[in-house]
Amino acid sequence: MRNWEAFVRSRLQLPAHAPMREARIIRELAAQLEDFYREAIARGLSESEADAYACEQIRDWRKLGRDVANADRENTQPRMERIADTVTGLGQTRGGGMKMLADFLGDMRHAARQFIKTPAFTIVAILTLSLGIGATSAIFSVVEAVLLRPLPYPEADRLVRVHEIVPQYGLFAVAPATFLDWRQQNSVFEYIAAYNAGNTTIAGTEGPERVPSASVSWDLFELLKVKPLLGRTFTVEEGTPVKQTVAIISYGAWQRRFGGDRAVLERPVTLNGTSSTIVGVMPPGFYFPSRTTEIWTPLAFKPADAPRGAHFIGVIARTKAGISLETANTEMKTITERLGVQYPEQSANESAKVVLLLENIVGDIRPMLLTLLAAVGVVVLIACANVANLLLVRASVREKEIAIRAALGAGGRRLGLQMLAESVVLALAGGAFGLLFAYLAVPAIKTLSAASIPRIADLSIDLTVVGFVAGISLLTGLIFGLAPAWHASRATLGHVLKEGARTSGGAGGRWVRNTLLVAEVGLSIVLLVGATLLLRSFAKLTSVDPGFHPERVLTFQVSPPNTAYPEPHNRAAFFSRLLEEFDALPGVRSTGMVQTLPMRGDYVLSVTFQGRPAPPPNTEPSANYRVVSPKYFDALGIPLLRGRVFNDRDMDTSPQVAVVDQAFVDRHFPDENPLGHRIDIGNGGTGFTEIVGVVGSVHYEGLETNPRPTMYVPYRQDIFSSMWIMARTDGDPVGLAASVRQALRKVDPAVPAFRVGPLTDAVTESVAERRFSMLLLTLFAGIAVFLAAVGLYGVVAYTVTQRTQEIGIRMAIGARPANVLRMVVGDGLKLATIGVVCGIAAALALARVIESMLFNVTPFDAASYGATALVLLAVAALACYMPARRAMRVDPLVALRQE
Amino acid sequence: MMFSAELKKGSTEMLVLSLIEERPRHGYEIGKLIEQRSGGRLKFALPTLYPTLLRLENRGWIKGRWVEKAGERERCYYRLTPEGRRVLEEQQKTWIAYVAAVNDVMGGSRA
Repeated sequence: MRNWEAFVRSRLQLPAHAPMREARIIRELAAQLEDFYREAIARGLSESEADAYACEQIRDWRKLGRDVANADRENTQPRMERIADTVTGLGQTRGGGMKMLADFLGDMRHAARQFIKTPAFTIVAILTLSLGIGATSAIFSVVEAVLLRPLPYPEADRLVRVHEIVPQYGLFAVAPATFLDWRQQNSVFEYIAAYNAGNTTIAGTEGPERVPSASVSWDLFELLKVKPLLGRTFTVEEGTPVKQTVAIISYGAWQRRFGGDRAVLERPVTLNGTSSTIVGVMPPGFYFPSRTTEIWTPLAFKPADAPRGAHFIGVIARTKAGISLETANTEMKTITERLGVQYPEQSANESAKVVLLLENIVGDIRPMLLTLLAAVGVVVLIACANVANLLLVRASVREKEIAIRAALGAGGRRLGLQMLAESVVLALAGGAFGLLFAYLAVPAIKTLSAASIPRIADLSIDLTVVGFVAGISLLTGLIFGLAPAWHASRATLGHVLKEGARTSGGAGGRWVRNTLLVAEVGLSIVLLVGATLLLRSFAKLTSVDPGFHPERVLTFQVSPPNTAYPEPHNRAAFFSRLLEEFDALPGVRSTGMVQTLPMRGDYVLSVTFQGRPAPPPNTEPSANYRVVSPKYFDALGIPLLRGRVFNDRDMDTSPQVAVVDQAFVDRHFPDENPLGHRIDIGNGGTGFTEIVGVVGSVHYEGLETNPRPTMYVPYRQDIFSSMWIMARTDGDPVGLAASVRQALRKVDPAVPAFRVGPLTDAVTESVAERRFSMLLLTLFAGIAVFLAAVGLYGVVAYTVTQRTQEIGIRMAIGARPANVLRMVVGDGLKLATIGVVCGIAAALALARVIESMLFNVTPFDAASYGATALVLLAVAALACYMPARRAMRVDPLVALRQE
Repeated sequence: MMFSAELKKGSTEMLVLSLIEERPRHGYEIGKLIEQRSGGRLKFALPTLYPTLLRLENRGWIKGRWVEKAGERERCYYRLTPEGRRVLEEQQKTWIAYVAAVNDVMGGSRA
């Protein structure tokens, strides 16, 4: 025997009934049908005959539904309201607004039940929405964490960064003497402090380790208004250049290195070979200037001999309450320009700029993030258009239900609100899934953008994001619910009850649906054009020859402590031995050395030429300055173009020599042979240096900019305390890390190798921001096109259903399937073409927005636009073809018999 | 002999009420009793009868209750409410008077 309740439930439509009441009616009807069935069995009929007999008892289920609804009117609307009241606890106070809210909540419940009954529709709609809302939430969470969230210091909106502006270089690090003058002369800052980020070798039980550190002005922590968790911060005395043997450590370092032992205070540790005392531990979550900084030591300058020409410290300040950024800027500019007049030799024409600290950190990334946010906004709009169309189609299928509601006395306004309640239910469900998507996307975003977006480590789905998602969900619900609600509100009894009258199927409905579709296609074109332009930019960028071969090169930094290697010749000997050891390692082809890593480091010095008139101070040309070992060029595959590279005879005692690159020659010796010319590097009074060779240009600042002129000098003639080793290997460079460490230990077990990694990482990181924006925009464009295709498919498929009869007639009078195919696909493509044209126009209008994100591609790149249009039309053709095939198979007889 | 729907419509409610006057009955039983007692001349299909039951219940004239009797499935049994009893009496009186009047008229014309 069949399950009669299921049988009745699947046939009887009681949309206006509360679920309890509906269940009772279904149960009773089922019981009676079962009685009929049993009676037939008792009469001796077979099971199938009895089943047919029982089924026959109710022939017109729709009429029964209407009759039941009419007879049971008391239990439809009023009951709904009663349920809503109990849900909201508003039973006693049913004023106008409250009543409306109660109704709306009741409607939402009802809508949820309706959606459960039509799972296919519901899944498509919710999936569409959650894609849009999920993408938006993910990007918003990035915007919130990076751009909107204040820095983790009290009253962070008063924290600023102060830059020096140096004529040749623009915004620049600050010279210590200038900082001391600023500190003395300014009246706008409550505090002003300097810092110098670097690395410190800490002697541990497992050998020496190099950790990120910073030397900071003694009052930096007061400036940031952060108190230590344990111990104290620095004292004024420690801020004077006496013997500095104190340090403050981060909470992380305290936990990891000292097991959170409170006895760490006043305990001696060996930092850079010097015994120091830990005087304080900062609280968890505190960081400055970078998240990885573990150790802070005092930074102090003797006013008498603080350098004014060497710019290497960072300066931050806290403005006094009530001092605006403009005021601070004006005063700092005035002071610095006065210093330029006072010290024309070192500071001529210098100026200063004050920037909010947050802005300083995230300002560069803002346009990219806002562009992405706009892009996901477009995706949400497309999702809205799609769901609005789905709802409109659904509404036209549900006319009978709407008719019954109208018959039961629901006014247009009430029906409109009911439809709106459905939209809101859908949107909230979409929002919930969207939030889930965003939550799942967070780790991926963090990984993808770790190198390119500052503060991304703070990314999390917090309450602000949840609130945003709730808001955007409600908003989308209202947006895509408007069209269906408007339709329903126009439903009048006679209008909808008329057999065959189709509200949404009529001309007005078709116009709304088509407009939505055109908008959808247009919006996805805009995104697709943007993505294509970024893709092309990225392809062009990554095909730029960096000027060296980063493949199979292992890089790491080595810093012998000044205590053990006090003199330049000590250090030079150390590095010389090191290079020998590395060169001897099996698997290493050649080992080079340089003081800054390509694509990451920056080291620029001014240059003047012997025999040419000296330019005024601070207007000298500048060039990259690289201190290298002889085999550096070989290890990185930088070609020698003229003359020679360095060799082991270029010692500190031999004549000073330099190698320059082609960009340097192009700039300064366009029509001359540079070999034999003598240059003065860094204005440092070390005499002139002879150019002995020319090598290929290298993109040291990244692939986007033209190579800056570069000069190389042998490391024995200007040894640095910290050098990068570059070992070209035969196989996987990272596999050699262990043997490299072992070789280093042979030379000096107290010196660690740190920041070990392949050189390719540096190149990859230099394009990471572009990769991030390109990948995301491509993903969003993909979603957009997919949604547009689904939307087009839905509308065309619906039109085919609506026009079955017409198609049947056409075929009956001789139209061939091919004609039908052409007609259906043609109609769909007409819409798509209008959308493409509108979209291209909009994309052209908006192109300037992403101009700054492009590389070697104009925002009006014809190929990108053409390809985009073609792709979209092809997708549209496919979306139309599927329903068109169904139209081709329409049987004229069946079609004509319909209705 | 079958009667038109129009003719039956006016009396359905009264028939239902009177059938449950003596004791509570369930829906199927009511339909079958009408058929049996009329010798098959009156038949109310489920789609007609059930909305009537709902309507009567909503007016407060009958009251349905789910009862499980020994050896039977659970069914909804309808019983007459005091209000229903009063309405039934009135309807029966009206009906008898109406039938008498109709008979008188028709008898008069035949005589």
